[in-house]
This record gives sequence, structure tokens and C-alpha cells, in this order.
Amino acid sequence: MSKKKFTTIYILVVTIPFLLLIFPLFEIANRATPIIMGLPFSFFYIILVILITFSGVLILYKFDPDHQFEEGDE
Amino acid sequence: MEHWQIALIIMIGYLIIALVVGVWAGKGRDSGSLDEFAVAGGKLGLIVMWFLMGGAVFSAFSFLGAPGWAYEKGAPAYYIIIYTAFAILPWYIIGPKISRIGKKFNLYTLSSFFRIRYKSKTLGIIVGLLALLASIQYLATQLTGMAHIFNIMTEGRIPFWLGALLAYGIVVIYVATGGLRAAAWSDVFQGLLMIIISWVVGIAIVNQLHDSMGVMFTNIATENPGFLQIGKEGSAMGTIPFTTTILVSVIGFLMWPHLFTKSYASSPKVIKKTVLVYPIFALFLVPLLLVGFAAKGIVDANLIESADQVLPFLITTVMNLPGWVYGLVGAGALAAAMSSADAITHNATLETTDGVIRTIFKDLSDKTVLKIMRIGVFGIGGLAYIITIFGGQGLIVLLLGAYGAIVQFAPGVYSALYWRGATAKGVISGLVVGAILNFYFQLVADTTPLGIHAGIIGLIANVVIMIVVSLLTKSDRSEEEDTYIRS
Repeated sequence: MSKKKFTTIYILVVTIPFLLLIFPLFEIANRATPIIMGLPFSFFYIILVILITFSGVLILYKFDPDHQFEEGDE
Repeated sequence: MEHWQIALIIMIGYLIIALVVGVWAGKGRDSGSLDEFAVAGGKLGLIVMWFLMGGAVFSAFSFLGAPGWAYEKGAPAYYIIIYTAFAILPWYIIGPKISRIGKKFNLYTLSSFFRIRYKSKTLGIIVGLLALLASIQYLATQLTGMAHIFNIMTEGRIPFWLGALLAYGIVVIYVATGGLRAAAWSDVFQGLLMIIISWVVGIAIVNQLHDSMGVMFTNIATENPGFLQIGKEGSAMGTIPFTTTILVSVIGFLMWPHLFTKSYASSPKVIKKTVLVYPIFALFLVPLLLVGFAAKGIVDANLIESADQVLPFLITTVMNLPGWVYGLVGAGALAAAMSSADAITHNATLETTDGVIRTIFKDLSDKTVLKIMRIGVFGIGGLAYIITIFGGQGLIVLLLGAYGAIVQFAPGVYSALYWRGATAKGVISGLVVGAILNFYFQLVADTTPLGIHAGIIGLIANVVIMIVVSLLTKSDRSEEEDTYIRS
């Protein structure tokens, strides 16, 4: 994967979930019930989207064309 | 022994450990090296870096303000978790770039980042001064937090001025002796402590006050569903203020000058890995929000001075917990405030010495600059202390105020990295107009159009003006411009 392509995919992967957490799209989850795992629906939804986003970023990291060549691990 | 005595002993014990860790971390390194003091020689590793980042975001605001928001406003408090999780993400792309630029030009500050790219001393000085003001404002919130904690946990026996002096005095000492490395290692200790304490205490409070989390939220949802929603009847915040507050916090977070110092202090790989593990810090905020929700319907709002005090009030007055719990929560909150204050104090010193003083007086040797920096830590620290004791505002207003000014750096920073056409005149005029508009709508006007956050209004004007003026004042291509874009 080229660096440019990677950057584009990365930006998409983080922007789409972010838009789901602000208005107008957040309206789909803007309610108190049902209570899931002890949390109001909106609260649960936010945590879920955050976890999914970072799983996405974690997977994407494996495909980062940069990181094989870079020095200075730790 | 009385509760407050046990609490005091635990908090003092914590402060002594914090001092020892901070001073020890700076020991044995090249103490005469400017590079070591400013950016730890550019060699901070992943774990230290992670806590340094986490410490900065996990502040007095998270420990006191987040429960306060949840208690007072309900659902709008989610904004804190959303912005903490997302604000770090662009760093994966721009952090490594900034790191490479910093190493190439031997930068320590945001101010010099601007000065080199735009070839403008004026811009460098403006940025340095704005950074200083915002940092002082930010420090004041941390100091207020420290002072409140000491005061409440000792049931009023430690006065406001003494609590702030004790806790912040220690920060100033270890930053002045050990520089960035000392700040980083104290953050590891302080970070672990506050994470453990917030989870243990958060869950314990919810379970003691209510049967379970589910029961608690079901009760709130039946009594007042609007409290758990945004922009509905009975909600504390509308949809536009909620969204623009998140936006301003997300854009502003990475513009904090200390993030630049941290980028120079580590390798691109460490920066990327820091981003990957960072969301764990956002989730650490969850129990603190739960505490705020748990206090809803239990704490009478008339009994506390401000919503920020809801967590300490629960512990000392409502639940009547044993003294060691006072002490632990006190230590956790102090850790949160101190781990934010150390990096900001360090950076504010760099911005003023490296960014402003060194730009005005050019022929200073590294050794002299280092000496000025060490003294500067005490100067900045003293200034923040005086402003805190003799000034005073609500915690959150202060933090958002500082954020508002910082976010105006964004157009200049992103243009430096991606747009050749931006010129010094364009960036300066955008920055000045943006900062003035932000100031006006935040502190002078009572309302903003549609409830849009003042920082976003400033930012829109800032971007438009920067682009127009840059196009009118085209400059020749320069080598620095190329290096910034290609890095």
C-alpha cells in the first residue's frame, strides 16, 4: 500500500465513526433507553463506537507502509 | 485519629513519593544539556510517552469537572469521553511529520515551528506569548483543583493558598531539576495511581448509593429522560453547542504547544504506537462520569458551591467513608492535577525562553539558555500561583477559555504541513482575528449565534482570512517550506 493511499484510508476510518458521535448523525442514538449493560443507550453506543474505531486503527497499523523502515523502537 | 488527619497523612505521603520519583528521574542524565532538559534528548520510549500524554489529558478537570458535568448536566458530559478518544487520532498522521521536522531543525517549541516555516520572528513571538497565556490559564485550573482537594479532604484545615503551594511547589521543583524526563516519569507514577483510584472509588460509590448501575440509570430515565439526552426537553445542552464543543476540543487538543515538544521528544514509531493504546485513557473517564450520575438525586445542589465539588462532597459528607478513602481520592485528584501541570509548566517555560527570549536576543549560548529555563520554571510557576490565588473562576470556564485561544493555531499548523501557499502575513492576520473573535464571544458577549462555540466562530473567520491574505501576499518558494511539506 502506498503512503498516500494509507493516509486516505486512515482518515476515512477515523472520520466516519467521529461523525456518528456528533450531530446530526448522533440523533440515531440520542436516547436513554434501552439500558444496555447497565448503561443508557447513548452512553453504551458511544463506548461501542470508540472501541470499534480503535480496533480499526489497530488493524490499519499492521498495513502502515512506514513502520517497517523506521528506526527507534522504544 | 480523625478522618482528616489520616487523609492528610496519605496525601503528604503521596507528595513525598511524587517528589522523589520526579527528582530521581532527572538524576544521572547529562544535567548540563539543553537538549536533555527540553526534549529528553529526543529519546522517550513508549510507556513513558503514553503516560506523559495520558497525564496531560487526565487532569483536575477529569477528576473533578467530569463528575460535576455528569451530575449537573447529564448526557452532555459524554462530550468529554468523545473528545478524549478522538482528539488524539490525527496525531498518527501529523505527529511523525512534526517529529521529523523538529529533529531536522532542532526545534523545542511550537513557536519556533512557526518561526522557521513562515520565516517570521513576529509570528514566533505572537505564538510564544499566546501559548504562555493559555498555559497560565490552564495551570490555574490545575492549581485550583489541587487547592480544593486539600481543602475539602482535610475538612477545611489546609487553606486554599497552602494546598496549592504544597502540591504545585513540588511540581516546580522536579521540573526545574529534571526537565521533560522528570515530568514524564512522575506521570507514570501519577497516571497509574489515578487510574486505579478512579475505577475502585467510582464503582464503589455507584454500588453503595444504588443497587447497581442499571437500576441507577433506569431510575434517572424514568424520572427525567431529557437528562440522558441532548437537545430534548429537560436536556441541559442543545445539539449545536454539544457538537461544536466537541469539535473545538478535538481540533484544539493537538494544537497545545506541549504536544509539539512531545513530538520532537520521540520517534515516529513511538508516536504511532502511543495513538494506538491511547483510547484506554478515554475509557478511564467512564467511572468518573458514573460518580456524577450516582450523585444525581442524592446530593442537594444547594449544599455545594459548584458542581466540581460533587465527588469530594459525596465522599466526605454524604457517604461518610473512612479517612483512608478521603486520602486516596485526594491523592488521585492531586496526581491528576500535577501530571497535567508538570508538562504544561515545562512547555510554557520553553515557549517563553526558546520561543520569545531567544528570538529577541540571538547570541545566547545553550548553557545560558538552560540556566534561564531553569529559573523560568520558577517564574512561570510563581505567576500561575499568584493568578490562581488572587484570580478565580469556575474550573471548566477556564479550561474551555484556554482551549479557545489555542485552537486558533490550527490553520497555521496544518498549512505549514500541507499547503505551500500559506504566508506569514496570512497566518498572522487569521490568528489575530480568530483570537479576538473567540475572546469577544467567550467573555464579552452573552450568547453566540445558534449557540456555536466561540472557538469555532473564531476558527471559521481565521481560515477564511488566512487563505485570502495568503493568496494576496504570495512569497517565493523556500527550502523550509519544502522540507515541512515533504517530511
